[in-house]
Amino acid sequence: MVKAVKGTIIECDTSVKQIIIGLNEKYQFIIEDLDDTHVYIDTTYVEQLRHDIDEILNENTYKVEEKDNK
Amino acid sequence: MSKFQTSIHEYLETLPEHTFNRLYQKPATCLAIFRLLPPLGKQIIMSCLYVDRPIPVNEMKLWFKDGAGSIKQMEAMTRLKALHIFTDQHNNYRMNPTFLQEFRNALTGGGNSESFGLATSTPDKHHVDIAFLDDYATKQWEAILHFMVGTTEGKPPCKGVLNLLGRSGLMTGGSNAQAENMDAREFASQMARQDFGVPTITNKGFQFLLQDINTQVWAFLLQYLNMAESLNMDLVEVLTFFFQLGSLELGNDYSSEKLTPSQTHLLEDLKAYGIVYQRKRGSRRYYPTRLATTLTSGTPVMLGSHSHANKNNAAVAAAAARKSDEEEEDGHGFIVIETNYRVYAYTDSPLQIAVLNLFVHLRDRFPNMVTGVITRDSIRRALSNGITAEQIITYLSAHAHAQMRKHSPVLPLTVVDQIRLWEIEKNRLRAAPSWNYSQFNRQQDFESTLEYASELGVVQWSDSKRKMLCITNEGHQPVGAYVRKLIAKHKEQQAQQSQQQHQHQQQQHHHHTTSVHS
Repeated sequence: MVKAVKGTIIECDTSVKQIIIGLNEKYQFIIEDLDDTHVYIDTTYVEQLRHDIDEILNENTYKVEEKDNK
Repeated sequence: MSKFQTSIHEYLETLPEHTFNRLYQKPATCLAIFRLLPPLGKQIIMSCLYVDRPIPVNEMKLWFKDGAGSIKQMEAMTRLKALHIFTDQHNNYRMNPTFLQEFRNALTGGGNSESFGLATSTPDKHHVDIAFLDDYATKQWEAILHFMVGTTEGKPPCKGVLNLLGRSGLMTGGSNAQAENMDAREFASQMARQDFGVPTITNKGFQFLLQDINTQVWAFLLQYLNMAESLNMDLVEVLTFFFQLGSLELGNDYSSEKLTPSQTHLLEDLKAYGIVYQRKRGSRRYYPTRLATTLTSGTPVMLGSHSHANKNNAAVAAAAARKSDEEEEDGHGFIVIETNYRVYAYTDSPLQIAVLNLFVHLRDRFPNMVTGVITRDSIRRALSNGITAEQIITYLSAHAHAQMRKHSPVLPLTVVDQIRLWEIEKNRLRAAPSWNYSQFNRQQDFESTLEYASELGVVQWSDSKRKMLCITNEGHQPVGAYVRKLIAKHKEQQAQQSQQQHQHQQQQHHHHTTSVHS
């Protein structure tokens, strides 16, 4: 029997994909792991996911200001 | 080609022919539209202007070289036909007779010249000079922009302006975001009742701020045109007045007595934007400001060119520029950017500083300049406000300081590239609502569903090994129906098969029993 599930498809690069998989351990929002650059998730988590990924990527960014302010 | 030209043209081209015929009754409108045309279009009109018979299509082809020339001719003629200046009849190009007559009048000064604005016959006791008008225009226009960026500088603009800002989607009330769905009256009354909440700037508004002033004025006027229709104002009268304003002379005063009621109303509104000046309400004379007189003129010297940047700068930052005369002399721009992302802006205009603050991390402010640095965070803030990297780069290069212009390219490449990279980085995640189909029983069911969905162009992702596909929300309805049909067909077949089997078994059974009996 064919099953149809409503959700959100996420397209991203592989490194972000790994972060998503890491986050999934906490929230369990992945419905279907599609391939290296696609993942199918619960729509209600999209904003949360964006926010979390932004934060994680931010932590790994070199900032010019900090150097300027000494 | 600047955005302003295309947008006013796009607007004009949507109008029906009879509107054009009424528009062309005014020589000023004919001249204004002529001024907005590309050079080749002008050339064609000038060549045909005093030919009193239709021009055969084949004959006109001879005016152009084969190849690139004829392609350009086609483009120009399409434009002219869209504006209903030329019509195509039995392989002849025929010029619109109204346009022909009135445009000749415009050039040679025949006929009724009232459409170019009626100069007042008596000298004004309270005559104002150009400097005053510039100052007035700057003050009014900046008040609107200030209000948009949310600085407290100057008094808040009047209701008409607020209404327009809301209608055009540049700003929106905090509580009610469906401004576009409301009609003008409803919106105006909401704004007036003050229960609209504090208006906040929208993505479109941020983009608007980064445009040059001429584009901004036209964007406003076009929005006004859209609104005029819903306010039952006569479109032709409004457009005629806009084009008339474009042909007036700066520093002269014109009589407002011959204006129609809706044009008088329009004058009231334009006053609020700083496009015209009137000493007091109901005064018999009005002055066009620089914002009005540059509406249709100098279209070749638009966005990005030196002289325009100068003019733009002079108008917006007249206050700032006047204080520092040197700046105005060679003031092509005021922004210096170094390869280390530091920004020095030689300005004391709160507006320009506020605009810079949209995407620059400002650090120090001096009497005549501000310094800051472009950082990942400052750009990301701008991006999340809906400003694009391209707009930031355009703004920076349009306002680059004379010193910067000596280099080629004007902006340091590292900075430009990095701004673009930050934009790409922001979009590392693309999410789209979707339906996931899985657990197809048979490979052929999956394949045929995939084929059907691909034909509709709704497939987002598919994997035939796992028999799984993702389709868009729009595709769910038809694809779902298709799958149900497939299954139903399959079941029917199965039912038939089982029936046949059953019959077969029965036959066999019957045969068996008979054989026993025999």
